[in-house]
Amino acid sequence: MIEYIWLVPLLPLIGFLLIAFNFKRFQGSVSGIIASSAIFVSFIISLIVFIEIYSSKQTATVQLFHWIKFNKIDISFSFLIDQLSTLMLMIITGVGFLIHVYSIGYMKGDSGFNRFFSYMNLFVFFMLLLVLGSNYLIMFIGWEGVGLCSYLLIGFWFKKHENNNAAKKAFIMNRIGDLGFLLGIFMLYYYFGTLNFNGIFFQAHMFTIGNPTITIITLLLFVGAIGKSAQIPLFTWLPDAMAGPTPVSALIHAATMVTAGIYMIARSNVLFVLSPITLLIIAIVGITTALLAGGIAIFQTDIKKVLAYSTVSQLGFMFLALGVGAFTGAMFHLTTHAFFKALLFLAAGSVIHALNGEQDIRKMGGLKNKIPITFFTFLIGTIAISGIPPFSGFFSKDMILIGAFEANSIFWIIAVIVSLMTTFYMFRLLYIVFWKRSNKEDLHAHESPKNMTIPLMILAVLSVLAGAFGIPLVFGGNDIIGNFLSPIFTESTNIIKINAHEISHNTELLLMFIPVIFVFVVVYLAYYVYVKQKKLPEADNQKRPFFSNIFFKKLYFDEIYNALFVKPALWLSDFLHNIIELKVIDRMVNQAGNLVVWTGKTIRYIQTGNVGFYLFAMVISIILILIFKLFI
Amino acid sequence: MNAIIALSALAILTMFFGVIQKKSVLLPLILSGLIIVFFLNVIEWGTFKHYYNEMFIADNFNIAFTAALILTTFLVFIFSALYYRTVKRPLEDIYALMLFSLIGGITMASFGNITMLFIGIETLSISFYILAGSKKFDVASNEAALKYFLTGTFATGFLLFGMALIYGVSGSFNLQAINSYIIANKESIPTLFYAGMILVFVGMAFKIAAVPFHFWAPDVYTGSPTLITAFMSTIGKVASIAAFYRLISITFLNVHDFSVDILMLFAIATIIVGNLSAMTQDNMKRMLAYSGISNSGYLLFAIIAMGPKSAGTLLYFSISYAIATITAFAVIMLVREERGTFSLQDYKGLAKQNPVEAFAMAVAMMSLAGIPPLAGFMAKYNIFSVAMNGGYVWLVIVGVIGSMISVFYYFKPIIYMYFHRADAHKKIETTKAYKIHILLVSILLIILGFLPGLVIGLL
Amino acid sequence: MPDAVQNLQMIPLNDYIFFCSALFAIGIIGVLIKRNALVIFMSVELMLNSANLLLAAFSAYRNDPAGQIFVFFIMVVAAAEVAIGLALLVMIYRSTHSIDINALNKLKW
Repeated sequence: MIEYIWLVPLLPLIGFLLIAFNFKRFQGSVSGIIASSAIFVSFIISLIVFIEIYSSKQTATVQLFHWIKFNKIDISFSFLIDQLSTLMLMIITGVGFLIHVYSIGYMKGDSGFNRFFSYMNLFVFFMLLLVLGSNYLIMFIGWEGVGLCSYLLIGFWFKKHENNNAAKKAFIMNRIGDLGFLLGIFMLYYYFGTLNFNGIFFQAHMFTIGNPTITIITLLLFVGAIGKSAQIPLFTWLPDAMAGPTPVSALIHAATMVTAGIYMIARSNVLFVLSPITLLIIAIVGITTALLAGGIAIFQTDIKKVLAYSTVSQLGFMFLALGVGAFTGAMFHLTTHAFFKALLFLAAGSVIHALNGEQDIRKMGGLKNKIPITFFTFLIGTIAISGIPPFSGFFSKDMILIGAFEANSIFWIIAVIVSLMTTFYMFRLLYIVFWKRSNKEDLHAHESPKNMTIPLMILAVLSVLAGAFGIPLVFGGNDIIGNFLSPIFTESTNIIKINAHEISHNTELLLMFIPVIFVFVVVYLAYYVYVKQKKLPEADNQKRPFFSNIFFKKLYFDEIYNALFVKPALWLSDFLHNIIELKVIDRMVNQAGNLVVWTGKTIRYIQTGNVGFYLFAMVISIILILIFKLFI
Repeated sequence: MNAIIALSALAILTMFFGVIQKKSVLLPLILSGLIIVFFLNVIEWGTFKHYYNEMFIADNFNIAFTAALILTTFLVFIFSALYYRTVKRPLEDIYALMLFSLIGGITMASFGNITMLFIGIETLSISFYILAGSKKFDVASNEAALKYFLTGTFATGFLLFGMALIYGVSGSFNLQAINSYIIANKESIPTLFYAGMILVFVGMAFKIAAVPFHFWAPDVYTGSPTLITAFMSTIGKVASIAAFYRLISITFLNVHDFSVDILMLFAIATIIVGNLSAMTQDNMKRMLAYSGISNSGYLLFAIIAMGPKSAGTLLYFSISYAIATITAFAVIMLVREERGTFSLQDYKGLAKQNPVEAFAMAVAMMSLAGIPPLAGFMAKYNIFSVAMNGGYVWLVIVGVIGSMISVFYYFKPIIYMYFHRADAHKKIETTKAYKIHILLVSILLIILGFLPGLVIGLL
Repeated sequence: MPDAVQNLQMIPLNDYIFFCSALFAIGIIGVLIKRNALVIFMSVELMLNSANLLLAAFSAYRNDPAGQIFVFFIMVVAAAEVAIGLALLVMIYRSTHSIDINALNKLKW
């Protein structure tokens, strides 16, 4: 089946083309069904390939065609099928399929229904290209393609101006990161002479640990990851990206695209372990982002914004894992996060759907009994993300926490704090949205249709059970995911482990135990504040305490960027347009054009129409040529 | 050689058919005759024969250019049905003269001796003089014919005097013999020989309408009957440039350092003057005349650079130029016949009323302007790369600037056809055959753009 | 008795060249200063004939018949040209009633 891997990205592409060219023709849910079935077939093929890879432990490169062949450059269009890419395939097609099905219900009646599904399929195509590519260039195509689709889908409801602004913001911020990524690719080509993953990683052994070249390359690649995966300082686009439809937030801005940065670094782990400095920077950026985004999430009042900051925070967590060398942990958390964050977003979408588009949590409450399925699935998601055993989030977070502790106990402490913050804001959200408050009249709400609730239930089951793949050895599990991914990471982990100290089983158990206790304390704290005291977040214009105000205002990142970059850039472009462009360049260009036209008009009159003159001109020319050539 | 004999027979046969007054038979006869001649020509590919003391050399260069010339003539004859559809008489004289000038053109592409070059040029030119004046009661046609004749014979005088001087110094008319003379006396060639060379170059420059010997071209092309203009501006140019290339590549290659300055002067002046003059023309025919002049400049690039790919690129450029020009003229004929003038204003809104014709015109114009992926682009690109490989960077810069200017005027008809509203003009009724022909020709132009390597690789 | 070739060779070659060049120049000047198309034809003929003479002289000096044969070709072509030129002149005269070349200025710019 591996040789048919090209079908996996091709099917969504066909779906996209099919819908795009029958834009006006498809009525009702036709395009949704086409799109979903394309992804479903892709999913089935992916599943078969996954099983093949899982059982055979083989990897394969499927070459489709020679793409660029020029001089010494030989870049082929080929796919790399190994444990890492098949894992991503499963997430993208699996979660993607569920979200597509959900969208059929969610987007029903929207005037852009067909457009939505064509974009979604295009997105899946590019995402698959990104993870399947066997060299950095193919990956970059996917990387740019998903950025484009993200832009298109954030600005999906383009009639509202702020949606367009959010889309542009996402695109521009991503572009900054992409530039870093591109520079990194150029340097890779310069130093390695190839862009193939296998070729580069094979040659990477020739570089010593701490080589400055590798450090620069990895830092540039990391800049790309920062942009795509919304880390400090380029994270502000992700919360704004919630302007898109909720399924988009679930698929692109939670489960798949934003994890592309993690995937890229995990894919390039061989390079990154050669540069301890980069790894340290990654860990610090990751943990800082996780902490700050967690803090901001606590004070948000928009249901999707809370989840968005939560996503940023969880991505920071994954970067911490990458930074401390816990690559398996990062990938495992990526997987579980894809399940429960997609679940949370879809459930939030179901809430919004039930309340006819209301997103402000202060206007919600008491939905527990009215939309029970949504409530239960949301609850499961919350528990999973909070890291309460035996739900999946517990195991994946635990893997990261252990890794962090092995590297540096300070990381561990901050990571635990972040984890507790996660628990707090998630339960805050849960209580405010679903628990009843007496001072509010009953909201009118209706449960979502089946095609929305069934994907929720499936994701809920996955959120609960996914942890089973990563039950650590202490619990008598056999760390399935660790073994599965070991061919990719073993070498790198060995290099990292040289410096790390081994921890005993007892310490490990202790390290698991402490956070869990605190988690329960925090759950109760949230319960006390938001259910017992029925505290509600203040209205937007109300004065808040200093500290809370800073976090409510998202640490003023947007304002700082505005003052530092946007305003000067606008001023500069204003200057360039009004002075340089209009007054200098335009005038020069116009004058040049006028000059040419004038010369043309004038030169025409040499052709006088008089034969005598023609003959005379010929003779003069001949004489001049003779004189110049023969006598001078 | 067989091609020339067969063509002569065909031309004489054509004249006889005029006697029996059978108009309907004449054109099919000529077209099928041309096809036969084309195959007679092509089957000699790779044989490298020479006839009559190397007067006539049938090498691949000759065969390729002969094929190009026959193809061009064939296309012109196809559209002659449209041009002469109102004329009752059989037109055997015009057709025969066209065939005779084709013979002259073929001779110019295959001479091995300066005598043959002269005879070829004169056969071509004398036929052209008559053809230019073939609209006997049209003053413009008369004027064109006389202007062409006066300047043409005058240029012939210089050509002959130059040939006489070359003969006097080297003692032979044979191209190879002159070459051997140059090699043997490299250091002591008298000035007289160089003077002869310059005069011959002047004669050739006149024939390809290179500035400053181009003055006849705009007037003659404007005044002549449109079909004849299409014929002259393609056959005349292709044959002359082939002759020029042959002359320099066989004979004067060892004194190329001397000739390069003159040729560069011709090329640069031609591109600048040709393109600039074309810019503000309102008369489509005259604009194409200047376009033809500027194209001579690009063609000279291949002769200046004399690289290994020069001949092939020259062939490709010639073919793409000829096809695009004939396509454009075929549309111009039609519009002129229905709307009375050659003015750009007549093309307003043509795209709405006659989409096929407008499409063909647009393709032709874009090809001449060098818009990828059409043949004209590949032709220009290849000829520039030939010049670049020869190290003539400045030439290429001038060429590119000229190309940029040319976009201005080549796009004017497109803008008029597609972006202007038609005022008071009716749809032009055309026959289905004409539509198919013009569409096929423009498609040929597109296809040709995808196989430059095939054509260039021939030589 | 010396034959024709020997007679020709008695005059130095340079004299022929100068003479033919002068003849050629006279032809050119005639073309340039005359406005009557018929006189211009005659001047062109003079140019062609100067080339003929030059070829004949070179041919004689080299004892090589090729030049003289070429002269025959030129004479044939010149005859054809004259025939056509005169026909054109008649045609022009019919439509403009003049053979002044300056009258031909409808086609310009």
